[in-house]
Amino acid sequence: MKICLLSWEFPPRIVGGIARHVFGLAKALAKIENDVGVVTLDFPGAPDYEELEGFKVYRSKTEVGHPNFLTWAFLFNHFLEKQLAAANKDFDFDLIHIHDWLVAPAGIGFKHFLNKPLVCTMHSTEHGRSSLHGPDSYMIDGMEWWACFEPARVIVTSNSMKGEVCGHFHVQGEKVDVIPNAIEVEKYAIGVDRWEVRRRFGVGDNEKLVLCVGRLVPQKGIEYLIRAIPRVSWRFPEAKFVIVGEGWMRGHLEWLANQSGQRWRTNFTGFISDNDLVALTKSADVMVVPSVYEPFGIVALEGMAAGVPVVASQVGGLAEVVEHDKTGVYVYSRSPDSIAWGVERVLSDPGYRDWLVKNAYETVKSRFSWEAVARQTVEVYKRVLGEG
Amino acid sequence: MSRYPSVSPRPELPEEFRFLCMLHNVGAINAERSLTVEEIVKWTDKEFFVIQKYLRKLEELGYVQSVEKDGLDKYHVSVMGIRKVLTLYS
Repeated sequence: MKICLLSWEFPPRIVGGIARHVFGLAKALAKIENDVGVVTLDFPGAPDYEELEGFKVYRSKTEVGHPNFLTWAFLFNHFLEKQLAAANKDFDFDLIHIHDWLVAPAGIGFKHFLNKPLVCTMHSTEHGRSSLHGPDSYMIDGMEWWACFEPARVIVTSNSMKGEVCGHFHVQGEKVDVIPNAIEVEKYAIGVDRWEVRRRFGVGDNEKLVLCVGRLVPQKGIEYLIRAIPRVSWRFPEAKFVIVGEGWMRGHLEWLANQSGQRWRTNFTGFISDNDLVALTKSADVMVVPSVYEPFGIVALEGMAAGVPVVASQVGGLAEVVEHDKTGVYVYSRSPDSIAWGVERVLSDPGYRDWLVKNAYETVKSRFSWEAVARQTVEVYKRVLGEG
Repeated sequence: MSRYPSVSPRPELPEEFRFLCMLHNVGAINAERSLTVEEIVKWTDKEFFVIQKYLRKLEELGYVQSVEKDGLDKYHVSVMGIRKVLTLYS
């Protein structure tokens, strides 16, 4: 099968989970003998064209810009269409698979001009991310509806997201397939000098490393973790908090940490490389995922694969990834007290911690492999092409 | 210092961050496509001194880089700045 994956983010252009998702899917599809072309946007230092692990990547430059975000988004779709046409000359794709609304105009155009089937994975919705507010937000909502209406099939990564797509956009349930996200467990099977890594991120040998990874935006709920720091620190004075990620809320979150008097025990690292992230995750004592909205929550899988106990809000897809008291600990979202309780529960009982870690690792390995995801995705493609 | 912040202001998109997004969206994302302050004034419709103030702050934070081209100071969003902007759109 000749498949085009169209995404606005792809490594090294890593924003949220989509870049890692598209990379993992492309690699796994190629491994089971599909011809895969990824069409994406450029990024400083990344080549316009490259061949990676059995698939081809085409990066498009946006030659004309505009200060307004939506105008810019439509402009880059125009340049993506041009790049798609070039890639299609190499491949003659059987179908195109778009990821989120940001590339929907190019994908939908491609569908109609070349009469090729379209599949869309909806990774999240504007309605869920920030509720609808103002004209841009309503327009994004409309684009997301369109990105669900035009494709032959819609893929989502959790049942929670299926409910959101069917409920909000009135998409028929039969049109939507749930295929979870996945993770390369092998990536975490590396030796790490735990103490060196911890020291590098400001955590001493006798201290507890509480890790949080995510974009510094409201839906990740990081402010509730910061509000939980005084309580956790009262019980565990040796706790240090490492918050990995970038985002527009960073200034506000640092202000909150200052106000609580706990800034000195909190390290905001900004964006870090994938290698550092793996090493840091493997070196943590507990990972907290305090999201208030999370369609899937791949970061929880990363913690589970790395052998770190996960404390996660019971929201959206997270509630399908983590099983309370078996593969992790659920806490109430938006509740600093509940988050503190979850962290304390894990840190205070090494036997319980080891039990969670063991179960979590087995679950990740058996349920969330890229090979399984690729095979399920191919079944969706076959259905769309009339082969299923 | 209080245990919890007494007042937590509702976080709003900082003005200099909005400006960083504009600089990114017009395409000033590498040295080749860097812009002078005058060019940025035309693109963004903001005042010269306001832009200088934003650029100074963003450069200090590592989100903007300056280059000297043809005897002129030009500015573009750094890789770290691009990542920062993109978090808003995902």
